[in-house]
Order: sequence, then C-alpha cells, then structure tokens
Amino acid sequence: MSRINKDVIVALCMLLACGIFIAASFQIREPNYGVLSPATWPRVILGAMTFLSLLYLFQSIRAGAPEPTEAELVLMEERKRAGFFGYWRNVIACFVLFFFYLLSMPWLGMLLGGLAFVFLLLNVLGGWSPKQVALHALISICTVGGMWALFTFGLEVTLPPGEIIGRF
Amino acid sequence: MFAENLLGAFAEIGNVKTLVYMTIGVAAGLLAGSIPGFTIAMAVVLTLPFTFSMEASQGAATMISVLVGGLSGGLMAGILTGIPGTPSSVATTFDGFPMARKGEPGFALGLGVWSSFFGGMFSAVMLVLFAPQLARVGLEFQPWDFFMLVMFALTVTASLAGKNLVKGLLAGALGLFVKTIGEDDAAGMARFNFGNDELLGGFDFIAVLIGLFAFSQLLSDVRDPDKARRSLSMSGNVRVRIEHLRAIKAIIKRWPTLIRSSFIGMFVGILPGAGGSIANILAYDQAKKASSKPEEFGTGVPEGVIAPESSNNAVEGGALTPLMALGIPGDVTAAILLGALLMHDVVPSPSFIAEEPVLAYSIFIAFFCANFIMIALQSVVLRVFVLVTRIRMYMLASVILGFASIGVFALNNITFDIWTLLWFGIIGFAMRQFGFPLAPMILGVVLGDIAELNLSRAMAIDESLHHFVTRPWALFFLIVALFSAAFPYFQSQRSAGAKWTSYYAPALLAAVSLPLTMMGGGVRPVLAVLCVVLAGYLVYRLRRSATST
Repeated sequence: MSRINKDVIVALCMLLACGIFIAASFQIREPNYGVLSPATWPRVILGAMTFLSLLYLFQSIRAGAPEPTEAELVLMEERKRAGFFGYWRNVIACFVLFFFYLLSMPWLGMLLGGLAFVFLLLNVLGGWSPKQVALHALISICTVGGMWALFTFGLEVTLPPGEIIGRF
Repeated sequence: MFAENLLGAFAEIGNVKTLVYMTIGVAAGLLAGSIPGFTIAMAVVLTLPFTFSMEASQGAATMISVLVGGLSGGLMAGILTGIPGTPSSVATTFDGFPMARKGEPGFALGLGVWSSFFGGMFSAVMLVLFAPQLARVGLEFQPWDFFMLVMFALTVTASLAGKNLVKGLLAGALGLFVKTIGEDDAAGMARFNFGNDELLGGFDFIAVLIGLFAFSQLLSDVRDPDKARRSLSMSGNVRVRIEHLRAIKAIIKRWPTLIRSSFIGMFVGILPGAGGSIANILAYDQAKKASSKPEEFGTGVPEGVIAPESSNNAVEGGALTPLMALGIPGDVTAAILLGALLMHDVVPSPSFIAEEPVLAYSIFIAFFCANFIMIALQSVVLRVFVLVTRIRMYMLASVILGFASIGVFALNNITFDIWTLLWFGIIGFAMRQFGFPLAPMILGVVLGDIAELNLSRAMAIDESLHHFVTRPWALFFLIVALFSAAFPYFQSQRSAGAKWTSYYAPALLAAVSLPLTMMGGGVRPVLAVLCVVLAGYLVYRLRRSATST
C-alpha cells in the first residue's frame, strides 16, 4: 500500500471519529447554572480537528504517491517477503500477550500474571530453546518478583492478588 | 525570608534519603541514556510511579536526577560505539567516535562529561536567575493570556514537526481532546464515556504518557525480530579511563564554544516542545561555522564534542524555566515533571515560586546537585555500561513492559489505568507508524485541563471573545503562534528562493511591537520601539541590497 493511500485512509478515519464524537457531544447534559457549557470546549477541539483532518485529506490527495525512499523500499521488500503477520509478529505478540495478561488479572493477579506475561513474551520474542527458556524463567522471576516485592513491601502498594493467591 | 527558604530547601535535598534517591536516579538515567533506543523521556516517565510514595521535593529531585543522568548518559554509547544513546547526543558521535577510534576515548569521554557538567551548571544558574523574573511577568497573566499561551505552546511544538505541521497540530488537538473525556471539572457532567462508569474519571495522564511514549517506543524497538535478539551494542572498546584534567583544560581553552552552545541549549529549552535533539545539532552546526578550521569537524576535534554535550545539558534548565515560572513545560520531560508535581497536588503557576518557595528552591538545588552526582558517577557507570551493552533488546522490552504495568497500577490502584496504558500504547505505535509526532499530543494531554480551566474562567468573567485579541499578552502569544505556525512554510519557501521570506523576520518584529506597546510601563514600549527600528533597518538593508544587485 502506498503512503498516499495510508494517509488518505488515516484522514478519513479521523474525520469519521470526529463525526462520531461531535454527535456524542450533543449527549452531554447541560447544567442549569451559569458555567461554560461542558460541551463547548470539546466542540471547539473537535471543530479544529475536523478542519485539520480535511486539510490533511486534501494534502494527501493533492500530493500524490511520493517516491519511496531507499529505507522505505527495504522495509517494503521485507514486508512483502515476511507477509503481514510475519512482519508485525513481535508487535502483535506484545499486544496480544499484554491483553491476555490484563484479562487474566482477576484470577492470576499481578504477581502470577506478570510472571507469566514476561516469561511468555521473552520466549516469543527470544526463542524457545531449553537454555533460553531457563534463562527467561530466571529473568522473569527475578525482575517481576523483585518489582512486586518492592511495591508490596517497600512502597506498601497493594497489588491485585488475584483469586488464586487471594485464597491463601 | 529568602535565607530561611533556602535553608529549608537545603534540608529537603541534603538529607541522606533524598541524596540516595538522587544518586540512584542519576545512575539509572546514565544507564538509560546510554542504551540506544531508550529515550530520556521514557526513563523519566518510567520513574514517575516510584516517586508516588515520596515527598514532592524528593520526587521532583529524583526525576531531575534521572533527567540529568539521561542527558549525560547518551554520550557514552555515542563516543564508544558510534551509536548515540539518545537523540540528544547524535552530534556527539560526529567527532566523539572518530576521536575514540584515533585512540583517545578517555579524552573524548572527559570532554563529553565535563561539557555536560558545565552546560548543566550554566543552565542551572540561568534557571535560578530567570525563573523568578519570568514568574513576575506571569503574574500579569489573566485567563485569556494563559489560554493563548497554551495555544502558542502547542503551535510551536507542532511547527517543529516541519513538513508535517498538519499532523503535528492534529496530534496536539488529539491530546487536548483526550483530556476532555470523563466528568468535566466545572459542572461534573459526563463527557464521551458512552455509558462506561470507569471512563467517568477520565484517563490518568501518567498512564497515557507511559503508553504513548514508553509502550509504543518498546514496540518499535522489537518490531524487527533480528534486531530485537541482538545485543544493544556489538562493538566498542569500553576499557578506558576518563581523562578529567586534560579535558577540563581543553574545555577552558575553548570557553567561547562552551558558552555559545550553552546559550543555544538554554534558548532551545525555553521553546515549548524543542529539546536536546534539536539543540545538539544546532550547537554543533554553530561551532562548525564559528571555527577557523571547519573542515576538521567530523575527524575528532574537541569543539565537536564540547558543543553538542554542553548544549543538550543546558536544554533542561531552559525547559524548567517556563515550567517553574508559568506552569507551562518547555519539553516532554518537563511535561512529565509537571505530571509528577500535579500527582503531589503541587500546581506550578506564576505564583508557585512565591507560594511554595521551599519546594521551588529544592528543585533548583536538586538541579545543581544532580550535575555533581553525575560527574561523580560517570566513571562507575562506565563499567556497568559494559554489562548493559550485552543485554538483548527483547529482554529489556519484555521486562520494562512488566514493570510499566505494575508502576501504572500503583498510580491510583485501579486496573483501568493498565488498560489505558495498553490502548494508548497502540495509539502511540500507530501514530509513530503514520508519521505523527508524539510531542504535541503529550503537551496537549498535559495542558488540556489548563486550557479548559482558563477558557472557562475567561468566559465566566466576560463572554465576549474580543479579549483574546485585544489583551496585550493574549495578542502577543497569538502573533507568535501564527508566525511559528507559518515557520515550516517559510523554511520551505526560503530554500526555494522565494523573495517574501526575507521579510519574515521584520514582519514578526513589527507585529510583536504592537502588543508590547499596549502593555504600557517603561521598558516594554521602549522594546517595542527597538523592534520597529530593527524591523525598519532590516527592510532598509534588504532594499539596498536589492537595488545594488
């Protein structure tokens, strides 16, 4: 996908988002006492964003597809070779694992969930050889365990225990 | 009274606990700064949750220490490996690395370390001298002026995106918009929560900052599987001793470069959004232009290390000046520091130095002390740097993501903040991929409440909008904002040879003379006259050169 297409799509998405939020701004309740309406400031910003998005769209269409630079060509080649999931594999892994880490928080809590998240992420990004798995396990126990201990005992912050640890 | 406050501040910073925190902060900053791909802002933002349980002065001192350490840490990687640790030390590699390769790594490091120290001390002195004066000016500001000041700060930051001005402005507006989500402060009405109760409290801006900056940066760092598995630095001779005495002598001999570069750094720091990444290149360029042997730059000349290192450390004193005096941060790291102060219910404003003198002086003193600690720690950290360079990026990223989630939770003890971290990590990553600058968005998030509060106050005083263009300070900021918004266009036209660009500076001078005249008093109308005279002289010179050719 060329850069111009990307920019046009982003501009259109931003315009759509502006439209949705402007419509939502009419759902904001008006107070019956004399203060600046709570909807005024968001509408000012959304008005500016709509104008800028239109400008961005206009600029993107007018500029046409620019010639890719050498670095961009290399990235495009790599992207073609690896495919979408291959190219973004690590990023997707980070997002997905973090998402499940948060989702499992009520059960696993921050200590077990954090250990599992860091351990799995280290393996997904670094490799699954027995030596690496052992090293990654050590790293996750030392770092997450250390941080958990620091916050729990040092800074006296009650981190979510989760149902499993909470039972004990 | 002054002495009493100063002693109070010394007591706050001089106690063992604070000094230990500061030492850890400087060491962490030095290491973070030395890791390529790990920015100073990321280090400072990740420090924030740890300062939560500290006193306000302790927290601020710790964060300033990380900042000072980070600014100096970038030079180690730059000089020894040729890969700048941070964008603030890019220009240091131009001459620092060749000097190290010529067999003088200890001298190059000494120049870098001591230039950083002198640059930092210079800006610390300037901060102490200028911040109270600027705060006095700030006391004149009314809500209209503050609102326009915020708009000015956002416009300048966006204009630094250069060709992507529209993207920069969009990012700034998006930042302002993010802060409108949740209950509004004045009336308590729900905004854009779409029935979700958790959104009523809005997004915690520290979680937003960590997501936008740290999360998205880490994802960018591990995107390439091969690079993610490599050590942070594969090359470099790090078994060196820093040549302190020789470096100090060399710097003293080249004091004009040091002073000029520190001034450049200080000035760039005061500009909202501009930071060390711009200052070090600008100072290097000026040092090269001022040199009698510019052709030697890039081969390992001392000036090529002194200029970027003194300027990037001087930046922070500049960035802290508008923060301390007006409550408007000069760059992203100052914005994060503002976040830390707000977390402790301390709101910097023009009356901040007068109302919270002990805390204000504590920040000044911490800035001085951090520079001394930095010098003391450099040699020690240099040895640890060898170990750090062996770490692989994916290990660092995985561990930091785990740390970030724990740290963010500790802010308010709610899991929703970690979700905020994730969503804004995704937004930040997408913005990076689509070429949107993050700095305007971060400033927008930080300044959003200030802008709305002042708009609300202004409207409560008088609903008429004419004050935004008739009050002298509001008009002043409006004019400067318009000129800064036009600056990227001016630059592109100037390189294309457009004639009108020669009149940009005279037009700016003539335009700002109007609000200066309106301000009244003794000094400002004189300044206005000087601006008009200077503008006239520039136009006269332009006309004369045009007729002679």
